[in-house]
Amino acid sequence: MSLSSALETLANYRAHNTRASQDIVDKGKPLLNNAASKLGDDAWSFLEQLALAAIEIGDLDVADECLRQLGEKFPESPRVDILSGIRIEATERPEIALKFYDDLLEADSSNAAAYKRRISVLKRIGKIEQAVTELSEYLDTFYSDVEAWVELAELHSSCNQYTFALQALSHALLLAPQNPFYVLEFAETAYTANDIPLAIKMFMLAIDIADRHDSEESIPTGASVRAWYGVKLCCRSLSEKPSSPSASDTPFPKNLNLLDELATERVLTAYSAAGKEGAAGRELVLSWMGPSDRSGSRVHFVR
Amino acid sequence: MLGRSLLLFAILALLHAAFSTYEHFSHLKALGKPEGSLPRDIMFEAIIALAVGILGATLNAPPLKETTWSSEMKTRSIDEMDARPGFASYVNRGRNIS
Repeated sequence: MSLSSALETLANYRAHNTRASQDIVDKGKPLLNNAASKLGDDAWSFLEQLALAAIEIGDLDVADECLRQLGEKFPESPRVDILSGIRIEATERPEIALKFYDDLLEADSSNAAAYKRRISVLKRIGKIEQAVTELSEYLDTFYSDVEAWVELAELHSSCNQYTFALQALSHALLLAPQNPFYVLEFAETAYTANDIPLAIKMFMLAIDIADRHDSEESIPTGASVRAWYGVKLCCRSLSEKPSSPSASDTPFPKNLNLLDELATERVLTAYSAAGKEGAAGRELVLSWMGPSDRSGSRVHFVR
Repeated sequence: MLGRSLLLFAILALLHAAFSTYEHFSHLKALGKPEGSLPRDIMFEAIIALAVGILGATLNAPPLKETTWSSEMKTRSIDEMDARPGFASYVNRGRNIS
C-alpha cells in the first residue's frame, strides 16, 4: 500500500465520517512519528482521526502519542480537551468522564462538543431520560445542530416515543431540506409508528428530492431504492388494512394500485440493471414482490 | 486536442499580426510618412485570430461539473448521514478482550 494511496484513503474516511478503525490504525500507525512533515496541514486532523480510531480498537499507546503531539501543537485548544475527555472515557469510570466534561463546561459554557460528549456518555451508561433532557436543553441553545436533532430522534425512537421522534426529525428537515436521507428516516419512523399515509407521502418526497433531476429512464440507486421499497411496503399495508386512521390526519393516497405497480417496477429495475451484483438479490426480490395476496413475509427496516 | 491546437494557432496568428503592425509602422516611419493606416490584411489576421481563439478556448474548456443538490446527494451514503460523530461512543467490550 503506497503512501499516497494510504493518505488518500485516510482523507476519504475523514470526509465521509467512516468508522473503519482497524484500517485507519493499520494505515496511520507508520505515519505517526513524522506526521507533520509528511502531511503538512492535514497532519492535525489526521492525528485526531488516528487517536479516535486507536481508542476504539483499544490501542491506547498510539492514542496517547497522538494526544501528546496534538497537545504540544495546540496547548489550550477545546478540541484537544474533548479528545482527552474521550481518552478518559475509554479507561476511567463514566462518572469521572462526566466530571471532566462538567469542568470543561464550567470553564467555557459555549463548548458545544462537551455537551455532546456528556450526552453520549449518559446514553452509553443507560441514563436515557437524563440524556434526552440534556439534549433538549442543548438544542434550545444550539438550534442549528442537525446531527443533534437526528440523535434526539433516535433516542426517542429507542424508547418507542415515535411522535417526539417525528417532531425532532421535522426540525432536522427544516435545517437540511435538500437531504433525502433525513426525509427517508422520517418516513421510516412514520411507518414504524403505523402512520402509513404520512409514511407513503414522505417516501415519495424522499424520491422526489433524491431523483429530482434524473430522466425517466434512469435506474434508481442508493436512497431511492430504499424509498421505493418503503412505498411498496406502504401500498401493501394500505391495501390490507384500508381503514386504519392516520395520526397526523394525512389524506390517503389515490391510485394505490398504480403506485404499487410503479414501486415494483422501480425496485426491480434497480436490481436488474446492476450486472452481477444486481442479479444475486433479484430472485429474492422478485419472489417477495409476488402477487399481493401473499401473506406472511414481512420485511422490517433495520437502521 | 483540437481546442488546444486552435488556441495555439490563434495565439501565434495574433502575435504575428502584432509584429507585422510594428514592422509596418517602423517601415512607414523610416520612409518619413508616419500617419499611414493599418493595412487591411493585418486587421483581418487579427480578427480571424480572435474568432479562432474563441473557438479553441471553448473547445478546450474542462467538462462541466454537476450543480444540483440531488447530484451531490447521490455521492453520499446513508452511513455517513447516520454517523453523528459528535455523539459517537468509542468504548466497547474490546477493552475486556485484548
